[in-house]
Amino acid sequence: MKLWQKFALGSTALLSATVLAACGNSGSGSSSSSSGKNGVSGSVKLWVDNTQVSSYKSIVKDFNKKYPDVKVKVTQSPNGSSNAKTDVAKDPSKAADVFEVPNDQLGQMASAGYINPLSPDATKTIKQDNVDSAVKGVTWKNKLYAFPFAMQAQTLYYNKSKLSAEDVKDWDTMTAKSVVATDFTVPYNVYPIFLSAGTYMYGKSGEDLKGTNVNTQEGVNAMEWYAAQKNNKGVMQTSSVLNQLKSGKAGAILDGPWDAVNIKKLLGKNFGVAPYPTITIGGKKVQMQAFLGIETFAVNSHTATKNQKAAATLAQYITNKASQLVIYKDQGQIPVDKSAQQTATFKKNPVAVAVKTMSQPGHSTLMPKMPEIATLWDQAAPLINGAYSGSIKPADYMTKLTSFHNAVSKAN
Amino acid sequence: MKSYKAQRRLSLSLRYVLLAVLVVVWLFPIVWIILASLSYNDTGFVSTIWPEKFTLSNYTGMLLNKQYPFLDWMRNTLLVSTVSMILSTFITISVAYTLSRLRFAFRKKFLQIALILGMFPGFMSMIALYYILKSFNMLNLAGLTMVYVGGAGLSFYIAKGFFDTIPRSIDEAAEMDGATRWQVFLHIGLPLSKPMIVYTALTTFIAPWVDFIFSGIILSSSGNPKNYTIAYGLYNMLHNAKGTSTTFFTQFIAGCVMIAVPITILFVIMQKFYVNGITAGADKG
Amino acid sequence: MFRRKNKLPPAATYREVWRKGDWTTKLSFFVMGASALKNRQWVKGAAFLITEVAFLIWLVFSGISSLSMLSNLGTLKTKKVVFDQSQGVYLTKLPDNSVVILLFGVLAVILLIAMVGLYWVNLRSTRKLYVLNRDHGHIETNGEELASLLDERLHSVLLTIPIIGIVAFTILPTVYMISMAFTNYDSHHSIGFSWTGFQAFHNVLSGDLAGTFFPVLGWTLIWAVCATATTFFFGVLLAMLIESKGIKHKAFWRTMFIIVYAVPQFVSLLMMAQFLDLQGPLNNLLLSWHWIAKPINFIGASANPLVARITVIVVNMWVGIPVSMLVSTAIIQNLPEDQIEAARMDGANPFQVFKSITFPQILFVMAPSLIQQFIGNINNFNVIYLLTGGYPMNNNYSGAGDTDLLVTWLYNLTFGQTQRYNASAVLGILIFIISAVFSLFAYRRTNAFKEG
Repeated sequence: MKLWQKFALGSTALLSATVLAACGNSGSGSSSSSSGKNGVSGSVKLWVDNTQVSSYKSIVKDFNKKYPDVKVKVTQSPNGSSNAKTDVAKDPSKAADVFEVPNDQLGQMASAGYINPLSPDATKTIKQDNVDSAVKGVTWKNKLYAFPFAMQAQTLYYNKSKLSAEDVKDWDTMTAKSVVATDFTVPYNVYPIFLSAGTYMYGKSGEDLKGTNVNTQEGVNAMEWYAAQKNNKGVMQTSSVLNQLKSGKAGAILDGPWDAVNIKKLLGKNFGVAPYPTITIGGKKVQMQAFLGIETFAVNSHTATKNQKAAATLAQYITNKASQLVIYKDQGQIPVDKSAQQTATFKKNPVAVAVKTMSQPGHSTLMPKMPEIATLWDQAAPLINGAYSGSIKPADYMTKLTSFHNAVSKAN
Repeated sequence: MKSYKAQRRLSLSLRYVLLAVLVVVWLFPIVWIILASLSYNDTGFVSTIWPEKFTLSNYTGMLLNKQYPFLDWMRNTLLVSTVSMILSTFITISVAYTLSRLRFAFRKKFLQIALILGMFPGFMSMIALYYILKSFNMLNLAGLTMVYVGGAGLSFYIAKGFFDTIPRSIDEAAEMDGATRWQVFLHIGLPLSKPMIVYTALTTFIAPWVDFIFSGIILSSSGNPKNYTIAYGLYNMLHNAKGTSTTFFTQFIAGCVMIAVPITILFVIMQKFYVNGITAGADKG
Repeated sequence: MFRRKNKLPPAATYREVWRKGDWTTKLSFFVMGASALKNRQWVKGAAFLITEVAFLIWLVFSGISSLSMLSNLGTLKTKKVVFDQSQGVYLTKLPDNSVVILLFGVLAVILLIAMVGLYWVNLRSTRKLYVLNRDHGHIETNGEELASLLDERLHSVLLTIPIIGIVAFTILPTVYMISMAFTNYDSHHSIGFSWTGFQAFHNVLSGDLAGTFFPVLGWTLIWAVCATATTFFFGVLLAMLIESKGIKHKAFWRTMFIIVYAVPQFVSLLMMAQFLDLQGPLNNLLLSWHWIAKPINFIGASANPLVARITVIVVNMWVGIPVSMLVSTAIIQNLPEDQIEAARMDGANPFQVFKSITFPQILFVMAPSLIQQFIGNINNFNVIYLLTGGYPMNNNYSGAGDTDLLVTWLYNLTFGQTQRYNASAVLGILIFIISAVFSLFAYRRTNAFKEG
């Protein structure tokens, strides 16, 4: 920062007659030197998803009752938390001090140095309070990197007038009776079929670069499954699942909890939600899997040292049990706090229960955090789509899977 | 003779029919966009031509939306485009005039360099522009305006073509009478170039209303939607968090229609100048 | 630099100026503006002097350091994570920010060049003053100097601000991006990166991106040719239809088409994408009319590449024909009638007239703007990005789809998943080379055409 301030001054002197004459401090916020109550002070900028701004403003109000000396500015993430990686990478020093980010981006952000490991104290609290999958979700190379506050896994939403609770337990019966709609071009929706088929994504740990064993018979089985869906009259490719569910052309869709409120509105009393069904891959009935994602708040490593403590404190506060429940109530985000999952509002909510079921091992796989996953997302989409649309012929499955495996196993 | 007349009439009506069919084909999607902006929709996807249910709530929703302050965007864009219009027009016209009417050693070089610079894709400069503006603490509307104005010096081709068509003898006569070149520029060049000024002003005025790339890169890091311009704001509505595109899709269309109407009107007014400019420029190469 | 046709004094070599000049003349070789001040050209002298002082101050305080850092783009390349006992948190010691170092290094080089240029201007003006003094010519007074700015030096007044704008917002970013192509700036070296020579070029042209680059390049060229040719040809036809005898309310008809072009592209094209969706209105309409049995996948991710490419060209016609119609209208109105009349007399039918008279004439007038359109289409970001987003997917490509152009791929490489900034800079340079070669070739051809 010093470098370019000097520069700004220097070049301004030379170009003094020009329009470029404006120059100012690019410091990251004001500081309050006195350390107040609790010994925490500073000023912190917080990025959250745009629909959640008002909820977090009220949470921050409570936070300020406890930590009056921390000045917090809540704004929306420029392109949403799902693009946190690129938004922060664009210019880490301009990004927020605390920002919302899905757990699969933590690995790359950690290895690029955009975020710090959490302090031993915070690590202890997180491990104590939250469910195991959430803790695993924020762990990268044996260190915790972010504060988890919600989990996301896709579930099956269905129209009760078309399908019964019994029907939706198996893909084959369900698609024989009605139509399931999903988007085969989004790997987040359909890549887990590979996992259901018995392959691993970056190994069991999710941190093994060479562990994506799709170039096997299991991988081929998954490819055959995709290809079979193209001819299945009960499966529909669409870019807008909600529209198809509403119009009645689809009886069930695969979607995440973020759309639950909308779907409830569309279906009214016919609203049904269930964990994923079983599917038949390679002649065997297996549980269809989904990705388990953990929504987290991370602290920017570019945050000024004097604000680090305040930022970490804020991140911890807005992910504690009470805050998780506020966000659950306002936004339908499924909490990961152990005791929050025991509350009545959680247990009575079918969506929350379905997501919780999906979060069990066997039903879902935690999204890996490997930086190389960027390549995987890029390459998996055309691969799966190729199998689905038939542009990849069955004879070529193995070759394509092998080149896919080689591409994603390369530390680029 | 009679058959000739009938043939003429047949040919004319055939041509009318063809034109009418083409107009329908051309305007059909536009009409659909307007219909979509009036339709009630809660799935983020419009799958029908004719709305199932008409509503004005998209428009009122867009205007009253707190998360996406449409009126602030309008104001920001108006500000940026007005300032950019005044400065860019002045710069473009003076560069074009200088290169067309004045002779100096650097002229040929300047034309060549401008030609070369124009061939680099503009996207290449985005990252650099961001850091340049950042180091001067100008990641805001003023900085965005400067980016628009900064490019004006290179967009002189059409205006230069226009000046090239005005005979130089007019200038020479004035200079004989003892006018300085500045006076010639002020009293002869500028009045003659009125259509060109209108054309340049309108194009530079419209640019900020339709650019969502540069405005996004420069304005997004503030995270404050109040600071956006209209094009980026609307674009951002669709591409922000999961589920928002569902909620705001029809409001987005309504917002689009609201800004497309004035721009379209401006453009229709401008078309005459556009044609004059581009043909005058094309004649001379 | 300046126009001095008639009052040009006999020249003197710099050697003569240095040897025979008085002490202020000699001093001007080191202290800019000294001789101007001596000759009472206060404004000019002071401007020179102040600039030099400012430059030297800048050079000492930051210029030298930024120039020297340019050689390695910062010494610290890897981050270090340390535990801060006092606060109980981990802190990351970040690498030197090469982005900023490179940018200001480039800026420093540009300032240096600008200063050398100014120094040269200073020398010329010193020489001029020396010669005038030697030959007892008239030395311009302050007032005359300033007045000349509005007369024979008007160009320098009118061009100053535009040139500063061009340097700051076009040249500096362009040079910066060109230099980025020679580094390893990517997602793995996102803060501290280093010079790696032609490695990134190697990656694009023969490394892991070559399998994407050449097919995408091929499609880009096909696209540019098709998009330019179709809009031009049908634009001319449409213009002739509207201009043909007997059609009334011509302005009204033209306006109808222009509306499509006037609607901002991010509106019309984004909505067009939905209009053409697999379950979109167009497919539903065609289905309900029973024109098709099964929805057509025009531009979806799993569409047939050929279908998608044709769709893109057709949609581009929808947007582009109105403009070229407008332009050709103006040309048609100004076409000399006599040739056409003569041809008609000779019994040529309308098609023959069009083929051998009207069309060649329009082509002749439009040739330069067609070349510009061609270059514009190579860089046509909006149509592809907003309409298809590069879809359909292609499992042989990396980070691009079947309809992606080089420029949208460039954008994906920067802002997409993989963040390969250096590769995108390489693409930018290659796009420039392609555009330059094509326009050079085309301008040559059209010039020859005009002369012959």
